[in-house]
Amino acid sequence: MSSNVWRDTWLMTRRNVKTTLRNPFSFIPNLMISAFFLLVYEGGLSGISQLPTFEGANYLAFILPVSIVSAAIGGAGGAGQSIVKDIENGFFSRLLLTPASRLSIVLGPIIAGMLQLFVQTLLIIGIAFLLGLEVQTGMGGVLFVLLIAIGWGLAFAGYSAGVALRTGNAQAAQAGTFIFFPLIFLSTTFVPYELIDAQWLKIAAVINPTTYIFESMRTVLIDGWVFWDMMQGVIAITIVSTLTITFAAVSAKRAVSRG
Amino acid sequence: MNGKIVVDHLSKTFKKGGVQAVKDVSFKVEEGEFFAFLGPNGAGKSTIVQILTTLMNATSGTAFVAGFDVIKEPEKVRRHIGAALQETGVDPDLTGREMLELQAWIFGFGKREGRLRAEELLDIVQLTEAAERRIGRYSGGMRRRLDLALTLVHEPAVLFLDEPTTGLDPSNRMAVWEELRRLNKDKGTTIFLTTQYLEEADNLADRISIINDGEIVASGTPKELKARIGSDLIALTPVDGGDEDRTLHLLKSGLMDADVIRKQEKILIYVEEGTRQLLEVARILDRENIEVEDIQLSSPTLDDIFLKITGEGKRSYEQ
Repeated sequence: MSSNVWRDTWLMTRRNVKTTLRNPFSFIPNLMISAFFLLVYEGGLSGISQLPTFEGANYLAFILPVSIVSAAIGGAGGAGQSIVKDIENGFFSRLLLTPASRLSIVLGPIIAGMLQLFVQTLLIIGIAFLLGLEVQTGMGGVLFVLLIAIGWGLAFAGYSAGVALRTGNAQAAQAGTFIFFPLIFLSTTFVPYELIDAQWLKIAAVINPTTYIFESMRTVLIDGWVFWDMMQGVIAITIVSTLTITFAAVSAKRAVSRG
Repeated sequence: MNGKIVVDHLSKTFKKGGVQAVKDVSFKVEEGEFFAFLGPNGAGKSTIVQILTTLMNATSGTAFVAGFDVIKEPEKVRRHIGAALQETGVDPDLTGREMLELQAWIFGFGKREGRLRAEELLDIVQLTEAAERRIGRYSGGMRRRLDLALTLVHEPAVLFLDEPTTGLDPSNRMAVWEELRRLNKDKGTTIFLTTQYLEEADNLADRISIINDGEIVASGTPKELKARIGSDLIALTPVDGGDEDRTLHLLKSGLMDADVIRKQEKILIYVEEGTRQLLEVARILDRENIEVEDIQLSSPTLDDIFLKITGEGKRSYEQ
């Protein structure tokens, strides 16, 4: 990348961070929901960790990835919302009229979304520590969880930016975020795979890449450094990110192309 | 600084729907000229602006702006032009000052230079007092002035303005006009303006091209264009239920050296000597017992030229 691309990306990211901070209601609800998940599920469901399948694991550590992934998806979704807002108010066209690198125009909101989800994830982990979280792998494990959250957020940011660039419409981009629900809940959200009763939910959990994200995080939080279990999340992120970032890149090319 | 625009056999057909928005258009704008494209909605004005500002590719033909090919050298073109599109392109969450500084930095100004340039432009468009306010709280006129300031950050050789005063109240419109005149006269900026307002083109432009249905149908100075249609216009409105075809036919055959056309509910008569011909029109109407609701004599405006040129059967200005 040329120095102009770096400089332009820095300018675009800074501007997106600034406008996000000026609209606290664009991230506070998502943060509240994620914290709510953590408090309510821990408070209401922690008893099931007495079941033998849990092998004595702390339910807080088991449910924390759900809260983190929820925050990550919500934060990354901000990238798409930001692009849609720019398209609708004409700012996107204004940027296209400048010599700013086309890549930076799309990267700016995505990087800002990543920063947002990084901060949100840190806050959720902080709340979990206040509630008594113990991490089997220590701070190294927390760092790994953060990286997985960012990776999964990037995959979702690619999706949300792609939908935004393709539709240029707030309602359509909003509708696109409904994928959040199947991603979060059709998985090993509340109990391990072995305890899921319905066959259809078992199939959905196997297909759903979020399952591997959960497993990867839970491995370092509960079990320790188990390489293969950790890698499942990394592989899921690599595959899904490749698909969604390609989708975003193709959509971006179309959005900035000159017809 | 080369402020020329050279357009040669430019056409644009949209893939979607196959609509040909621009049909073999050629024109030239000289350096430092104030040029206006006048036409109704859907005439192709904005499509041409989008092609010349590198936002859209043409289907065929060539266009050079500030000495650069808009198709092959879009980055170079972008460095030498400023453009204000129909919709103001501003971020409502930034302040006016932040928006101008961002624009300056994108155009390669240093941090301090960008700040100074923003300050200077805020003063020029009289937004210094509102500089720290978020743009979302600006009025339509303030946004438009800020949008204009954004196009001037890098002192472009060519300025494209796509209907810059649409939706503005008269006082804001006059303020924008004043600024455009100053830019053109004092800085020598070439200005390419599109407008639906004939008064705007008449007031500002050195030269005007009238575009209708994707084609240039007339070009010239405002004076030349007015001269093309004779000196006076008689407009009459027949009563409801009258035989308009017969009236039109009688006037066409009864008046020498007059151009008679129908425009919606009116019949327009372009003549050399309005007062004398008005009597003749009255005589014909009286002799044939044709009643009219209203009859008026006026000197032609660009509006009349526009109506005459786009004429019967073509897209109307009002539509």
